[in-house]
Amino acid sequence: MIGKVLIANRGEIALRVIRACRELGVRSVAVYSTADADSLHRMLADEAICIGPPPASGSYLNVPAIISAAELTGADAIHPGYGFLAENARFAEICERVKLKFVGPDSRTIARMGDKAEARKVAEKAGVPVSPGSDGPCASVAEVRRVGGEIGYPLVIKASAGGGGKGMRVVHDEAEVEDAYLEAGREAAANFGNGSVYVEKYLERHRHVEVQVLADAAGTSVAFPERDCSIQRRYQKLIEESPAPGLPGEIREGLTSAATVLIDSLGYEGAGTVEFVYADGEFYFIEMNTRLQVEHPVTEMVSGVDLVAEQLKVASGERLEVPEGALLPQGHAIEFRINAEDPRRNFLPQAGPVEFYNPPGGPGVRVDSHLYAGYTVPPYYDSLLAKLIVHAADREAAIRRGARALDEFAISGLETTLALHLAVLEDEEFRRGGVSTSFLAERELRSEGGLLRLATAGAPSA
Amino acid sequence: MDETPQDETRQGPLPLEEVERLVDLVRESGVGEIRVRRGEVEITVKTRPEAPASQRDPGAGSQSVRESAAGPEEPSPELDGVHAVRSPLVGTFYRAPAPGEDPYVEVGDSVRAGETMCIVEAMKLMNEIPADVSGEVVEVLADNAAGVEYDQPLFYLRPQE
Repeated sequence: MIGKVLIANRGEIALRVIRACRELGVRSVAVYSTADADSLHRMLADEAICIGPPPASGSYLNVPAIISAAELTGADAIHPGYGFLAENARFAEICERVKLKFVGPDSRTIARMGDKAEARKVAEKAGVPVSPGSDGPCASVAEVRRVGGEIGYPLVIKASAGGGGKGMRVVHDEAEVEDAYLEAGREAAANFGNGSVYVEKYLERHRHVEVQVLADAAGTSVAFPERDCSIQRRYQKLIEESPAPGLPGEIREGLTSAATVLIDSLGYEGAGTVEFVYADGEFYFIEMNTRLQVEHPVTEMVSGVDLVAEQLKVASGERLEVPEGALLPQGHAIEFRINAEDPRRNFLPQAGPVEFYNPPGGPGVRVDSHLYAGYTVPPYYDSLLAKLIVHAADREAAIRRGARALDEFAISGLETTLALHLAVLEDEEFRRGGVSTSFLAERELRSEGGLLRLATAGAPSA
Repeated sequence: MDETPQDETRQGPLPLEEVERLVDLVRESGVGEIRVRRGEVEITVKTRPEAPASQRDPGAGSQSVRESAAGPEEPSPELDGVHAVRSPLVGTFYRAPAPGEDPYVEVGDSVRAGETMCIVEAMKLMNEIPADVSGEVVEVLADNAAGVEYDQPLFYLRPQE
């Protein structure tokens, strides 16, 4: 087993990894920026090293500082969490070179799947359904028009190096191609240092479904029950659940077998997520994330498997041991991302002191968070404050439990997305299940007597 | 503490006569500390905390003059005007350019801003760490070959013009 793990991350995910280390008897090393001197991950890890100034470029993205911290503390592995360096193939390669075990797949696999145009080809070759689109990157406006002529509109232009909706444009007809192509390319270049884009058919009113996978070095792999992450705002997931509501059995099986086929073709090691779009009874591969995801706890709740512990075991060279029953979902789990954003003021990011903090408790409730009363949320990083995960016998009970727990959740000092989640749970279409990713875009947020309500655009106010 | 004036010619020589007068004043008045600021120059004269002027044994004689003035020969990091040179990166701290060689600096040495004080090695790269102000080395805070964090104090300097 790995003896000591350095966690190259902060916030709730750093705590998540520290907790798994504790339970496995693995020593943990936290790294932190000067802005995170009062953070829980610094306090709860066995050791902590300050690696740089507040901006992530000097600290959590500072490869030499992180490698030095690992060498100084004698860590033998690095867990990258999500975000920051988690899908940075160069970082993984440096870890390989200095004989630090990167908890994840090898650098070659990260690079291959990180190039989204290349990943489509890999999936296609493995026999995974891929939506119609360009064969690799598109080098000109004319090429996008040509592909548009073949596959029809709407289509979506995406950044090859992309993710999170950056460098992405939906195009409804040929007249929009030129502007969209140029904008997507510029945005991709600005965000990823690579302006290359590719084209896919855009499925209107699709759902986002994804499959959590886990594989060991010996080639054993498992695919867990699917997650549905269709509640998004500007391509950022807000609510995730498992299993996906109302999905036909053959689609379910199709998704897990497609994910398995893909990772087996890659010789994948570690945890990952294969993402699909689903509409009108068909699903298509969109991309693969070669890391742990924010929403991994919903899978943990319905499978009973500690995914982070499994990551660490697999990274230690141990064989995967997932009980057969874990691959059938037990009940229903929903995760709510509580962000430091003010939904009443166009999701304005919030920073500052947390005056009061009282997370919910009781049966079937899990909160993964780095908050405590008196903690100051720094303005430099991601807005995720907490993840509330509820688990119950079925979806209806999970929704009731979610509403109860959200109502109990008290954070004062800054505005959060708690009220938005309550509004989503009140929505009839959401309660029926199976909404598309345009769910939030199709609704307006209204403030009524201090509470938030969702109204379909154009509906009269109550 | 890094308020070293950039333009040294703007100031005159240290007003030593004035310092002497202040020392006398502290001793005679019995107050713990006198601070005088004139333009860029600030002078602080204080008695040792363990021997306040008002409580000193009058029989101590000639020693009392020295005790009453906190001079540079009695360094203490708690005193005002001591500057910490901090590590700009995570790595291993080395006092000398190579094993077996003399340290770059010793306590009591004067260093100029920009002069190398030590090495912090990270990923096999030897990073020479310069003094960010000119001054006298008062204390070496890290052990040779020890790991140091970002922003960790490595030396105390008493800034000098």
